Amino acid sequence: MDLRKTFSTLRRELDSMTVIQSLVAYSILLVFLITPIALMISQAFLLRGQFSLSWFMNLLSSPEYVSFTPRGGRLFYVRRGVMYLWGYDYGILLNSLIVAFMVTIFCSIIGVVAAMLMGRYRFPGKGLFRVLLLVPLLATPFVNAYVIGKLFNPRGGLINYILVDLLHLLPWRLDIDGLVGVTLAQTLSYYPIVFLNVLASLNNIDPSVEEQAENLGAKGFRLFRTVTFPLFRPGLAAGAIIVFIFSLEDLGAPIGFTGARANPLSRKLVSYQIYSSFAEALTGSISPKILALAVIILVLAVVGFLAIRRYVNLRTYAMLSKGGRWSPRLRTPSLATRIIIIIFLVFLVTLASMPQIGTVLLATTNWAISGTLPTKVTGEYLATLITNPDVTRAIMNSLIYSGFAMVIMVLVGASIAYIVSRKNLPGSSVLDVLATIPVAVPGIALAVGYFMFFSSGVFRGSLLDPLLDPALLLVFAYSIRRLPFTTRAVSAGLQQVDKSLEESSMNLGANRPTTFYKIVLPLISGHILGGSILSFVYSMSEVSTSVTLGALREDRVPITFFISQIIYGAAAVGAVSIGASLCVLLMAVQITAMAISNYILKQKVAFLGV
Amino acid sequence: MVEVVLKGVTKRFGDVVAAGDVNLKIEDGEFFTLLGPSGCGKTTTMRIVAGLEHPDEGRVFFGDKDVTDLPPYRRNTGMVFQNYALWPHMKVYENVAYGLKVRKVPNEEVKDQVHDALELVKLGGLGDRFPNQLSGGQQQRVALARVLVINPDLLLLDEPLSNLDAKLRVEMREEIKDLQRKLGITTIYVTHDQEEAMVISDRIAIQNFGVIRQVGSPLEIYRRPNNLFIAAFIGRGTLLHGRVEATGELMRVRAGELTLQGYPSKPDMSFEPGYGAACVLRPESFKVKPPDEPYNALEGVIEWGAFVGSHTEVRMDVKGHKLIVDVPPDEDCTVGRSLRIYVSHDDTIFLPMG
Repeated sequence: MDLRKTFSTLRRELDSMTVIQSLVAYSILLVFLITPIALMISQAFLLRGQFSLSWFMNLLSSPEYVSFTPRGGRLFYVRRGVMYLWGYDYGILLNSLIVAFMVTIFCSIIGVVAAMLMGRYRFPGKGLFRVLLLVPLLATPFVNAYVIGKLFNPRGGLINYILVDLLHLLPWRLDIDGLVGVTLAQTLSYYPIVFLNVLASLNNIDPSVEEQAENLGAKGFRLFRTVTFPLFRPGLAAGAIIVFIFSLEDLGAPIGFTGARANPLSRKLVSYQIYSSFAEALTGSISPKILALAVIILVLAVVGFLAIRRYVNLRTYAMLSKGGRWSPRLRTPSLATRIIIIIFLVFLVTLASMPQIGTVLLATTNWAISGTLPTKVTGEYLATLITNPDVTRAIMNSLIYSGFAMVIMVLVGASIAYIVSRKNLPGSSVLDVLATIPVAVPGIALAVGYFMFFSSGVFRGSLLDPLLDPALLLVFAYSIRRLPFTTRAVSAGLQQVDKSLEESSMNLGANRPTTFYKIVLPLISGHILGGSILSFVYSMSEVSTSVTLGALREDRVPITFFISQIIYGAAAVGAVSIGASLCVLLMAVQITAMAISNYILKQKVAFLGV
Repeated sequence: MVEVVLKGVTKRFGDVVAAGDVNLKIEDGEFFTLLGPSGCGKTTTMRIVAGLEHPDEGRVFFGDKDVTDLPPYRRNTGMVFQNYALWPHMKVYENVAYGLKVRKVPNEEVKDQVHDALELVKLGGLGDRFPNQLSGGQQQRVALARVLVINPDLLLLDEPLSNLDAKLRVEMREEIKDLQRKLGITTIYVTHDQEEAMVISDRIAIQNFGVIRQVGSPLEIYRRPNNLFIAAFIGRGTLLHGRVEATGELMRVRAGELTLQGYPSKPDMSFEPGYGAACVLRPESFKVKPPDEPYNALEGVIEWGAFVGSHTEVRMDVKGHKLIVDVPPDEDCTVGRSLRIYVSHDDTIFLPMG
């Protein structure tokens, strides 16, 4: 009976458009997400064709991966006037977890403080800070870590020069490097994710809810603890889990630090280990130990993500109140407090935009070779973007990959968003999860899965075989990895299109496809455009699959791989500056995209969250 | 124009029964209203007729034709949504022309017909506006014009007046009624406002928890309720609970120290002496002077009174029972004053309990 009912529902709901949309969505997700990952997981559990946990046991029992006593490293260690802040080596797996955990904590603290200041207080220069706080979102892969390494270099680093030689604030020079360096670089890049999510939650709290609490006698910290905090906690959780996942899979900081200082501690991270295994993959195989490592971080990320998603869905309170005024509560604090707030924000913004400022300096001056401060402005590095054929080719490659990926993402993302929001089809909730989950799938794990799946079996020697030509596979990797953002942008548009607008069209005689083209599409075109721009930008700055799969053929490398090579083997004079110039190009693309979606499409894109 | 028949239509959402075995026959050209408290399933029932929901069980017929499995766009109904559902990216003209263009009507004809439809709803000359440049009442008219222009077999109106202010609501409901009469189009109207339903409808169906509780003309539903739910839901009044003392053509029921004589709400209702019965007393049926026909006389004390213009609304304590009574405006209604009131046997209506 139920089966018959399902069948008759299917027959009624499946018009030609829905069939095509579902087919496209499911087949792309099946081939480029589910199967490669499933294959990778299954291989990690196989030893000579038999089910076995030995690869995992092997990892967990090897001190190289898990060690409960430090195997080296320095923290707060002072020698010859230098304080070494490197961190201790607890084995590759534990290091990754510790770094991700610390980054999450630091980002949460900074993000919440910044969001509370921006969301609840009035002070001069607020509009400017609102923009400056988001500067770290401008991706400067690899170069950001390189800049931090350079600034904190005990020999001639600018920060040490200012703190020790100029102001005499510290008795020793600081040497921030290794795991601490990675933590610092990631914290500075990722805190805006928490900041944005918490600020959005704060702005969503009906002011009268807090006023009622004050009216009943709650003030200051008590008000924060009992009302404000619980109401923005879902936003905090959503931001924090994304930071955790991003930190786990980040390659930019480890590679950047290795390039800047060559401290081996920066490489003792899971992401770096998987990355370096791709160098051997050219011979056509990846060690099962690396598979097991990829599976572990995949499971951690996905399980964490799904748990938080569930929690956030449960706790996202729809604000019940109707009417009344609806502008966030803003207080003007005392003059002294205002000064403290501004000093804090200036400090935070300066520190956090160092990588971006440094990148621009590297690209436009001789800072890379001049020592503490740049001495000469030059356009020669930026000029290489056009003149150097290798650089130009990388730019062209990225533009082409991102362009194609954008088309795929918009088609698939719009289909999924439409099916999920409009259809009582069985399985549409599965589709929803599948379209969101790539946020949580570490790019390096996906890269491993792709390599295994597409370089063997039926795909061996096909256009998708990365050993033959990684270009097409990169297009699909970008499409899958950035799909959630596109889907979300389109969903946001669809949510604003009341169902009755479509129903009235069908009532007046238009079938589903006509309704879609005449009513739905025009109403969400802005969101589709916004989503496309976003997908394009994110694809341009994609790191994980670019530096792994992209490494497999020299003439197919994308921008980010090119930068990583420059930073990693920063030997040739001026090469770092060329990497920085590429980052300047990436930043310019991002700023343009943000400007278009903010000022032309008038969309607030809350792009990172659960 | 068409006659609509629902046979055993049932629709569940999880555990909620939105339509429970609904059987209705709506005559050709009739103005038929589905009335009920919010969440009773009246909108779902209408959406099933429009084809926007598919019933779990039962069939829907337009005339002799079974339309149950027909998609909404092949039913030729015109539905006005509660929020009007005007397309914000189209001008008024384009909104109204939509249904004609979908039907591939030649452009010249579209122009004429849209013009006529806009004239019909008194919006001539506003075709170039966007919906958000119109007032709520004007948007409502566009929504009407948009469905009338396609000459639907059936007009479906889902709480079309609920977003308008009180004065406009009264104006619009008269206009809608006039239009319907002029066009002679079969109409199903959904509302939770019983006054609106009484004024506008030929017949009303009252729905509760998905189930149709009574179908009848406004007068029938007010004066001859089928059951206690209808009696309590429709109109003001007092319900007294008591026991049957005597049956026959004229019934006698005792409630506490009161004895009332009157008639069953419906002739086919059977009462036995000793069984429970409820008595429905409408406030406007009380008189302060003994009427000509036979009556029940009651004496009580005024507990509370409010002058509302045409009369004074009074709550009286009559031997422990609280009665709502409309008293002529010239009567002295000081609290504490005792008053003798009369209600004719015809206005004393009995319903079986439970």
